[in-house]
Amino acid sequence: MAVEFEPRIVGFLCNWCSYAGADMAGTSRITYPPNIRIIRVPCSGRVDPLLIVKSFQMGADGVLVAGCHPGDCHYSEGNYYARRRFAMLWPYLEYLGIEKNRFGVEWVSASEGKRFSQVVTSFTNEVKALGPRKAEALA
Amino acid sequence: MSQYISKQDLLSWLGKLRESHRLAAPVRVDDLVLFKKVERVEDIALDFDNTTLSPKEFFFPPTETLFYADRKDGQVELVPAEVTEETVIFGIRPCDAKGIATLDLPYMEEPGDALYQQHRDRTTLIGLSCIKACPECFCTSMGSGPDDASNVDIMLTEAGEGYIVQVLTDKGKAIAPQLAEKDVQAPPAPAVTPVPSEGISEKMREAFDDPYWGRLADRCLHCSMCSYVCPTCYCFDIRDYNENGRANRVRSWESCQSPGFTKIAGGHDPRADKGIRLRQRFGHKLLYFPEHFGTMHCIGCGRCVRSCPVNIDIREIIQDVQKLGAQK
Amino acid sequence: MIEEIRTKARELLESGTVDCVIGYERATDGINARPLFVYDAAGADRLIFDQTCTHNLVKYLRNRKDKVTGIVVKGCDSRAVNLLISEHQIEREKAYIIGVVCPGIVETGWNKKSDKLRDICQVCRQHTPVVYDFLVGEPPASEPEVEPYPDVAAMEAKTPAEREDFWREQSSRCIRCYACRQVCPGCYCSECFVERLDPLWVGIRIAPKENEMWNSMRAFHLTGRCIGCNQCERVCPMNIPLSLLNRKLEKEVAETFHFQAGMDAETPAPFATFEKDEKIGIGE
Repeated sequence: MAVEFEPRIVGFLCNWCSYAGADMAGTSRITYPPNIRIIRVPCSGRVDPLLIVKSFQMGADGVLVAGCHPGDCHYSEGNYYARRRFAMLWPYLEYLGIEKNRFGVEWVSASEGKRFSQVVTSFTNEVKALGPRKAEALA
Repeated sequence: MSQYISKQDLLSWLGKLRESHRLAAPVRVDDLVLFKKVERVEDIALDFDNTTLSPKEFFFPPTETLFYADRKDGQVELVPAEVTEETVIFGIRPCDAKGIATLDLPYMEEPGDALYQQHRDRTTLIGLSCIKACPECFCTSMGSGPDDASNVDIMLTEAGEGYIVQVLTDKGKAIAPQLAEKDVQAPPAPAVTPVPSEGISEKMREAFDDPYWGRLADRCLHCSMCSYVCPTCYCFDIRDYNENGRANRVRSWESCQSPGFTKIAGGHDPRADKGIRLRQRFGHKLLYFPEHFGTMHCIGCGRCVRSCPVNIDIREIIQDVQKLGAQK
Repeated sequence: MIEEIRTKARELLESGTVDCVIGYERATDGINARPLFVYDAAGADRLIFDQTCTHNLVKYLRNRKDKVTGIVVKGCDSRAVNLLISEHQIEREKAYIIGVVCPGIVETGWNKKSDKLRDICQVCRQHTPVVYDFLVGEPPASEPEVEPYPDVAAMEAKTPAEREDFWREQSSRCIRCYACRQVCPGCYCSECFVERLDPLWVGIRIAPKENEMWNSMRAFHLTGRCIGCNQCERVCPMNIPLSLLNRKLEKEVAETFHFQAGMDAETPAPFATFEKDEKIGIGE
């Protein structure tokens, strides 16, 4: 029986909004694909672009960063800086040969359990459609 | 009468060698000429001055695993790395061959580097003598010469439509092809611009405290390129990596010119000053290595001169040091 | 042009305004240039300026923080001065800037004479230094209208798979000599990310994966900071087209933030600031 490709997705979730949102999805028993491995960070602004590239190099098929909605950052400005950084990283990763849909940035608030599951489901499906990163891929 | 091989026969001989050995030879990669594992003998460059990187990478690779550590049944098992492939390097210039012989001195001095020794044992060198000298070459001032056959197993000298062949060692005999006899003379060795290297070690010692080094280092970027293109530089760094539960101890090229090279625990750095750091390079090349091993640590290939982004030129430095040392 | 530079250098050294003038002199191949540090007025005679003067001398300014230094800069180099001032790495008062209207630099190589302008110089729109104390040369009446990023556009036109193959091949060539980093005025971290052991971003292994991480992320650390002198690409011994990385980010920054690094010393770099309601194509 052929084994269907299950992408390995790394998720960087900010503690105050998106991680709480994921938690809400869990307590509300809303399901979403289990492919995502969540790493909790204090703020989306903490996510170093090096972390994204390193995740791809270590075998991730997709990387998702989730943070507070702009304006609602627990630290006031962290996600504004993150937004700028990822606005440049996204086209750059594609330029290096990593398909655009493998990297995603979403704003999910603490009460948006349902939205979190929708975001993860559609992201997982997009990455699944792209297939695995090539075995000999560099990043 | 000399032993001779035509160009065509040379290529078919190398093609045969490819089947039983890893054959490395100079190959054109965009604008560069680099030693690469040969896929097709037609790719071999026969008309080149010299390669950008030296052939030392076949004995002292840029990155090499020294050993692995596996965990088995609660025990740690050390698995040494091994060199199993037989290699033939074709197209090595006399200066670079002397460079390998020079690298032998630190790496094979007791107790000896096991991996280096294995690379050396499993590699045969086919040299290609120089029929023209580049303006920045100065091999004759560093104990070698454009037709110096002392450090290769087989030496080829271009003559007419082929090459005069000298089979010099047992290793060379083991791979040598059928050779014809031909009445052909080797062309005269090209003239190589001399550099005043006579007595440079003593002058280097005398010029040690001169402010010359600080002034010279003003423009040095400490980019390490000189050490990396040099056939005789041999510094390295070692780190342990964990890959899928297996530990690798990895050795990689490093350079005394790299800014953090001499940083030690506690934060002190004895060569934090640029002038002192740069002086170290030339001290090692012209004084410390000759003192310890009896031969210059430079073989006059000119790669550092060609590559340095700010034209720190060892030939100029040797001339300057001769004058400085004489003043003391 | 050369006489003006020498005269000014002599004057600065004799009057004690500066203790050193950093300029160019002829290299040992008799064709190219190399950086020169002149400490006494007599040495000013060695200064030259021509189309082989490729080096970005601003790299050396940071080391000389406590003294006033004279420096010869071209158009792109002068932007590096502004960059370092805006990042509090040098003080404007500590530099006496001899700006030179740049004629464009030719492709340089050891012992090679060339008339061909460097690719980066062919698309230059800033021949006149943006900051200087003394200007040598006539500023052009207008800057040429050029297609600014043809090289990046050509790369963007390839498929992701083609680009991946391209960067894999280039990464396998890198020997991690770090000449690109050492020559760059924007690279001055006391601990570079490659030297970090915890987290181990790159490490010391010289292999394609690590090499690609190094080259691509060094360029990313220069987003909105790279002033486009392209010295990194010039010094690379393996001819890796590093400008294709830096200029892609330069293009994105220009299109998204309408910003060019180093044009003045006050405007904050894109990553150092934000606008609350901006829509920049991410997270929307």
